[in-house]
Amino acid sequence: MPLNIVVCLKQVPKPDLQFQINAEGTDVKRETLNYRTNGPDEYALEEAVRLKEKHGGRVVAVTAGPKRTEQMLREALAKGADEAVRVAYDEPAAFDPMKIARILAAAIKPIPRDLVLTGVQSDDYINSLTGGLIARSLGHPHTSVVTKVEVAAPSLTVTRELEGGDVEVVQLSMPAVLTVQTGINTPRYAPLPAIMKAARQPIKEITPKALGVASWDDFATGYTLRVRKLSLPEAKGHAEMFTGGVADQAKRMAQLLREKGFYRGG
Amino acid sequence: MAGDILVIAEHREGKLNPATLELVNLGRALAQQAGGAVKVALLGQGVEAMASQVAAHAEVLLAQHPLLQAYSSGGYDQAIKAIGDAVGPRAILVSHSSQGFDLAPAIAATWGAPMVTNVLALALEGSALLATRKVYNEKIVVQVELSSDRPYVATVRPAAVKASAPLPAPAAVTNVSVSIDESRLGARFLRYEKPQVQDIDISAADVIVSAGRGIKDKKNLPLVEEFAKLLGGVVGASRPLTDLEWLPKTRQVGQSGKTVHPKLYIACGISGAMQHVSGMKDSGAIFAVNTDPTAPIFEVAHYGFTANVLELLPAVMKELKGG
Repeated sequence: MPLNIVVCLKQVPKPDLQFQINAEGTDVKRETLNYRTNGPDEYALEEAVRLKEKHGGRVVAVTAGPKRTEQMLREALAKGADEAVRVAYDEPAAFDPMKIARILAAAIKPIPRDLVLTGVQSDDYINSLTGGLIARSLGHPHTSVVTKVEVAAPSLTVTRELEGGDVEVVQLSMPAVLTVQTGINTPRYAPLPAIMKAARQPIKEITPKALGVASWDDFATGYTLRVRKLSLPEAKGHAEMFTGGVADQAKRMAQLLREKGFYRGG
Repeated sequence: MAGDILVIAEHREGKLNPATLELVNLGRALAQQAGGAVKVALLGQGVEAMASQVAAHAEVLLAQHPLLQAYSSGGYDQAIKAIGDAVGPRAILVSHSSQGFDLAPAIAATWGAPMVTNVLALALEGSALLATRKVYNEKIVVQVELSSDRPYVATVRPAAVKASAPLPAPAAVTNVSVSIDESRLGARFLRYEKPQVQDIDISAADVIVSAGRGIKDKKNLPLVEEFAKLLGGVVGASRPLTDLEWLPKTRQVGQSGKTVHPKLYIACGISGAMQHVSGMKDSGAIFAVNTDPTAPIFEVAHYGFTANVLELLPAVMKELKGG
C-alpha cells in the first residue's frame, strides 16, 4: 500500500555557536545566528523517504517559520520529499510549543496522510512534545523515540528507545504520528541534480487566512506563557579552565594526569 | 483538593524508576506553596509491593487494571484522568524520560492543560507556575511563567532534583478503580528487547576516554584509542558517534546508553548535552577538551582544556612518554 507521509521539520540555530542574550533578557541575539535543520528531523525526513521508496507513496515536508526556512525545505525536496509547505508563522523566539503544535496540526489536517513523522526533540528547546501534541490535535495514535518502523498496513510495528540501551516494541494503527530518534538510519546527501531541481520547485505558503482564521493568535492556547528572563548558567561547579597554546595545555594535562596517579608509565 | 500535586509514578518490569521519588520531593515543595499535599498515582497490575515502597514517601493512589500491565499513553491517560478528576490537582508531574515525554502531551491535551517540559526547577507563585529550563545546547537558562486556572502539566529532567527522604511513618495507599477503554490505548505494548552485543563493558572500566563529534572523522578514532590505552582505559562515545556507527552502541555513555562512574573520565570533543552528561557526571575526575569555551561539558568537568582535541592528545601523549 502506498504511504502518504507528512514530515515536520524545524530550522534551529546551530548548537555549537556561542549564544548571547538580548538587552531585554527575553531572547538570544538573533542577528548573528546561523541555522540548520534540526538533527532528529533530518532522521525523520530520511525515514519518510525510505518508507516511500519501499512502499511507494508521497512525502510532504512541512515547517512553520520565516522565509529563511525555505532553504531547509529545498534541501528536503532535494533529498526526496515530493512537496514542501511553509506555514508563514514568524515569531522568532516561539517559546510556546503548544501554539506551534496547533498551527502545524491545522496545516497538516487537509493533507492526505498515513504517517506523520518528526524528530524526537528540537536541538534548541528540547521540549520533546510537539509530535505528541500534533497527534492529539489530529486524533491519531502516537509513539515517541522511534528507532525502527515496520509497516504492515493498516498497522505499524515500531521499536522505541527506553533508557540504558533497552527498547520496547509497540504496535499502532495508521494514521499515526511517530517521533524519530537519531541513529535510526543514515541520512543521505542530496545529489547535485536534485539540488538544482529543488531550487526551481514551488513551496506552498500557508497563511492564517488559508487555515480559515484571522491571525495566528487564533491558535492561542487559552493560558498565558511569558518568558521572564534568559540568563547564562551559574558558574558554580565550573571546571578549572586551561587556555593558551596547545603545548602549554598539553603540559598541564600531562602534569595533572601524573599528579593524580592516572599515568604511572615511564 | 485544589492545591494537591499529582506525581505520576514510572516503573518498568517491576522496578520503580528512581526519578519518581525526585518528583515526590519537588511535589512536596510545590504542595507547600499551593497549600495541598503531594499524591502519587501508581498505575499497573500486581504492583501492591511497589505501592508500599512509594507510600514510604507519599500518599499513593493505586489504580490496577489488566490493561495497565504495561505502559501505553492511552491507557495511562485514561487512568490519570479518572484519578485527577477525583483529586483536582494544581499540577501533574511526570519524569522527562522516554515514557514521560511520550505520556505528557496526551495528559495535557486531555486536560486542556498548560504544559512545560524538561524543567530543572519549578515554583508556584500565586496562581502562576514558574519553570526553569535550559535551552540552546544547555548554554542558556530560561525562566518561563505560565498562568492558568487549569492544572499545570510539567515533565522534570531526571536528576535535576534530589530524591525525597522517607516520611516518619508510611502514608496511605488508596485503591482507585478505573475503567480503561481498550480501543483508546494508542500504541500497544508488544515486548521489551535487550541489546545482545558482544563487547567490553565500559561501565566496569576505571578510565574512560570518550570521543564526540569534535574528533571530526572516523579516521581519528585510533588517536583516541591510543590515548586511552596509554592511560590503561577504554574508549567511550557520545551519541552522535554511535549514531554514525563509528563505534558500537555498547560504547555510548549517556541516558540512552551506559551510566558510568570511572575514576577518570576524559571527554574529547563532546559538547555536553544533557543526554550525555547524565551518564557520566558522577565520575571521579573529569577532564574535558573542547574548542568552545561555552560548551556545557565544562560545567560538569573538573579540568577544562579549550583546545582542538586532535592537536592536544598527540601533544599530551608526547609529554607523558617523554617525561
